[in-house]
Amino acid sequence: MTTIAEKKLAPSGSNKLSTSSRIRRTIMGIITYAFLLLMALIVIFPFYWMIISSLKTLEEYKLNVPTFWPRLIQLKNYADAFQAANLGRLFLNTAYVGIVSTILSLIITILTAFAFARLEFKGKNALFGFLLATMMIPGELFTITNYQTVNAFNWMDTYTVLIVPFLVSVFYIYLLRQNFLQIPNELYLAAKVDGTSDFKYLWKVMVPLALPTLISITILKMMGAWNSYVWPRLVTKSEDMRLITNGLRGASMKDATGETHFPMQMAAVTMVSFPLFMVFVFLRKYIMSGVSRSGIKG
Amino acid sequence: MVDSKHQWKAWLYLAPALVLLLVFTVWPIINTVRLAFLEGYSGMKAAGGATFTFGLENFEKVITYKKFTLTLKNTLLLCVLTVPISTFLALLIAVALNSIKPLQKTLQTIFFLPYVTNSIAIGMVFAAMFNVVGSALGTPNENLTSVGIVNNILQIFTGKDHYVSWINSNSPEWANMFVMTVYIVWNALPFKILVLLGGLQAINKQYYDAAKIDSTPRWRVFTRITVPLLSPMLAYVIITGFIGGFKEYTSIVGVFGDKMGPPDAPGRLNTMVGFIYDSLAQNREGLASAAAIILFGIILVVTFINLWVSKKRVHY
Amino acid sequence: MMKKLLSTLLALCLLLTSLGMVTASADDVVAYDGSEVTITFYHTMGSNLTTVLDAYIAEFNLLYPNIHIQYSSLGGYDDVRDQIKTEITVGGQPNIAYCYPDHVAMYNLARAVQPLDAYINSTAVVTRADGSTEIMGLTAEQQADFIEGYYNEGRQYGDGLMYTLPMSKSTEVLYYNKTFFEANNIAVPTTWDELEAVCAQIKAIDPTCIPLGYDSEANWFITMCEQLQSPYTVAEDPWFLFDNETNREFVRRFNSWYQQGYLTTQSLYGAYTSGLFVASSGTRSYMSIGSSAGATHQRPEKGADGAYPFEVGIATIPQANPSNPKVISQGPSLCIFKKANPQEVAASWLFVKYLTTTIEFQAEFSMASGYVPVLKSVAENEVYAEFLNGADGGNFIAALSAKVCLEQQDAYYTSPAFNGSSEARQQAGNIITICLPATDIESALDDAFSDAMDECEFAVW
Repeated sequence: MTTIAEKKLAPSGSNKLSTSSRIRRTIMGIITYAFLLLMALIVIFPFYWMIISSLKTLEEYKLNVPTFWPRLIQLKNYADAFQAANLGRLFLNTAYVGIVSTILSLIITILTAFAFARLEFKGKNALFGFLLATMMIPGELFTITNYQTVNAFNWMDTYTVLIVPFLVSVFYIYLLRQNFLQIPNELYLAAKVDGTSDFKYLWKVMVPLALPTLISITILKMMGAWNSYVWPRLVTKSEDMRLITNGLRGASMKDATGETHFPMQMAAVTMVSFPLFMVFVFLRKYIMSGVSRSGIKG
Repeated sequence: MVDSKHQWKAWLYLAPALVLLLVFTVWPIINTVRLAFLEGYSGMKAAGGATFTFGLENFEKVITYKKFTLTLKNTLLLCVLTVPISTFLALLIAVALNSIKPLQKTLQTIFFLPYVTNSIAIGMVFAAMFNVVGSALGTPNENLTSVGIVNNILQIFTGKDHYVSWINSNSPEWANMFVMTVYIVWNALPFKILVLLGGLQAINKQYYDAAKIDSTPRWRVFTRITVPLLSPMLAYVIITGFIGGFKEYTSIVGVFGDKMGPPDAPGRLNTMVGFIYDSLAQNREGLASAAAIILFGIILVVTFINLWVSKKRVHY
Repeated sequence: MMKKLLSTLLALCLLLTSLGMVTASADDVVAYDGSEVTITFYHTMGSNLTTVLDAYIAEFNLLYPNIHIQYSSLGGYDDVRDQIKTEITVGGQPNIAYCYPDHVAMYNLARAVQPLDAYINSTAVVTRADGSTEIMGLTAEQQADFIEGYYNEGRQYGDGLMYTLPMSKSTEVLYYNKTFFEANNIAVPTTWDELEAVCAQIKAIDPTCIPLGYDSEANWFITMCEQLQSPYTVAEDPWFLFDNETNREFVRRFNSWYQQGYLTTQSLYGAYTSGLFVASSGTRSYMSIGSSAGATHQRPEKGADGAYPFEVGIATIPQANPSNPKVISQGPSLCIFKKANPQEVAASWLFVKYLTTTIEFQAEFSMASGYVPVLKSVAENEVYAEFLNGADGGNFIAALSAKVCLEQQDAYYTSPAFNGSSEARQQAGNIITICLPATDIESALDDAFSDAMDECEFAVW
């Protein structure tokens, strides 16, 4: 906030001050940009790696000294991956599971976070502490019990089993609660005086205010659906129910000797990631505008 | 304020989450506790009709396991190293990002990119960057093929013949830990940046306007306005960071493979969760459950300390 | 008197019941009666192999149209194991699965795998859709046609029962740079002593090279135990016998080779050792010991002129005692899981029998996979014989590898499988990777062996 802020703020009367502060400002700006660009470079590197790997031949990929640019660009990997993995069907499945579970998950998260942030009830803190505590047990320990549960419910091989068990995430509830807590209590009390119901207040005031956080949650949840592997594989038997990662690890990504064809796998991963990337680029606008639409600005 | 009518309503809001948690989280936890007290419980043996006696032997086995303290030490060390570093870096990036105009959107998109990068890819990139390909490292017959990009950069400063064995045989433990710290911080950054940036953008601009009028120094604006106002989000990333840090395992496998250490010191970097995984892989759910409960106890204490501190420091 | 009579009676009773149980288990084999069943089959085949499988499922369905085979490819062997492991807890396991001996030992903690002895010996007659008949069991010729080392793997579980039939197999072979060997007049080593000499010779010619790359540390350790007739593990208490002086001695010897720069292994090198072998410049190796199924990865890339930069030769791995050679047997077998419906089990058996004893399938599958067939007579199959005839160190390297494997078919061994055998294997590999780079070998040996024993014993608690 510094550079822009000071520009507007520079006291118009004092010219002496402005020279040294301008130099300071410029240096600060350079440092800021240099730092951000350096970090960006570091952060972006795996993404770059994923893409160049997807364009290599298997032989080049396996070289002892990795190459930083493919010798011969193999767009063929993309065509192969798309054909081999039946990505179309898997993609639709994943999109369906991802969208439905994200919507349901958002609703549940909003309701729960609201209750913890604004409503008063006995044992609130203890219950919240308990929820936090549940995050501390490695989830893999739950797998077998949950597998037995959904089997007893007769949910195997349905969309339900892919969606329902992971709708509640304490991580998201906690994140949203933190966000809700920041919204000044005065707004809530004022709404109470106006006779606005809790529910209306939640949807009309709190949700729009917490939009950036909700979008972050959406992205994380979608990414989760995109990346989940062990559970879908366990609970789905028919090919029709499989999700994208199952396709990425199954038969189709192997070369003639049965070894995983990593470049092809990377090509598939890149293709699969693309829609998510677009979702982010599209939604970023809303993350930014979340604040300006908030109504408490001035 | 708290009347029974409101109570009833609050529980209604909570109902969907609680029902699902009861079935898919609380019940497995109860089951985990049960298994922890069944001596030598194994799901496979149980499926074959075996029965198990009730007792504390699982816990005894975990605690007397030769490498138990090693896994505990690694777990704690990784937490203490990575959480503060990643939080601080993410805060710096978020603040810097929030302060610029040109390129802001592009940079934001870039910092988001790791989300759409597959975890397989990240692990492999890391191994490639730090990997030293060669044989008989550290002996007179050393035979180097390549030393990885990190060593290439170091060589610019230290001379052509120097290199550090980061993850390969003959690598010192500090180098292993360094690689893991960098990797985990790297992994954690994007999420933290996203959360903190979201928090920053929710801060009312009036506070800064006020600071401008007082022409408060930049550093004071940061420590007196930004950090306190961001404290709920900071508390969030720190607490979840610690919880995640205690469960560190997959990142180590990503860099070192199943052996959880350099080839000549397998298991050197094993963690509590690594031990739990190993036990599960050997079908020893009883042992795994006991270890999980011990880990749970440790995280619980740390989280309560965290919450206690944040209660004093966080401003809502 | 009374006591004696009672005990005799009791003994008689026990004898009768045990006899009764034996007959009962023989009777357990229900012949397939043509009923509609769906058989699930988990494997790891890539799409080029499922094409072959599809063709033969169609053939099989001509004989048994009511047996519906539903297969899933689950990625790797470990994925198959983990999936089945979870499914067993609710009784949802498949009918047939690709398996390694360690997996079967694990499934058998739940007694989930169907012993095959009764099926193998069954003489019940089944009528096929075309009116012809076959017996449920294996005929004497069919049994004799299996390569013995592969077939015996099914009986490695310490209880004398047969649990698996071999599906397709591989082993370790020695790949060498034939062009280089011929140019320098080097003989291919057949013993470890010769190997040491050859390494010294190669190192003298090309001082920057690493003469030998060995892919799998664990295989090396276990194979050495087998070749030296030194104890490794047994399928009964005390299970782990590998901490002995013979084994320490060969590790000590490998340490000195490693220190002299003679060899490296995959995890010590930090990359695939095949990459070292196929390299045409920089650090390279001239010998590589790796899976026979991975022959195409041991072949260099063609140069700009369209020719391979060097020819690859393939030989049996070096031996400790050439008169009693031992090479490891790897690759998937098939196991059948117990099911409530005896018709499902019978149908599964018929399909497993079909895949493992049909010569044409074995021939085609082997050619597509780079693995070797499990039947001796496949070598006489016309198509396969032609495939073997075309063997060379370039385009047809997979055939060359198969040929070498078939020539050493008496040398195959498998290690005992039990709950803990996979841990032993892992620890065996660790011993090699810990000890080879050690400068103080004696203390490293002590630490590595005692650590490995501790871990193994902890694993079977």
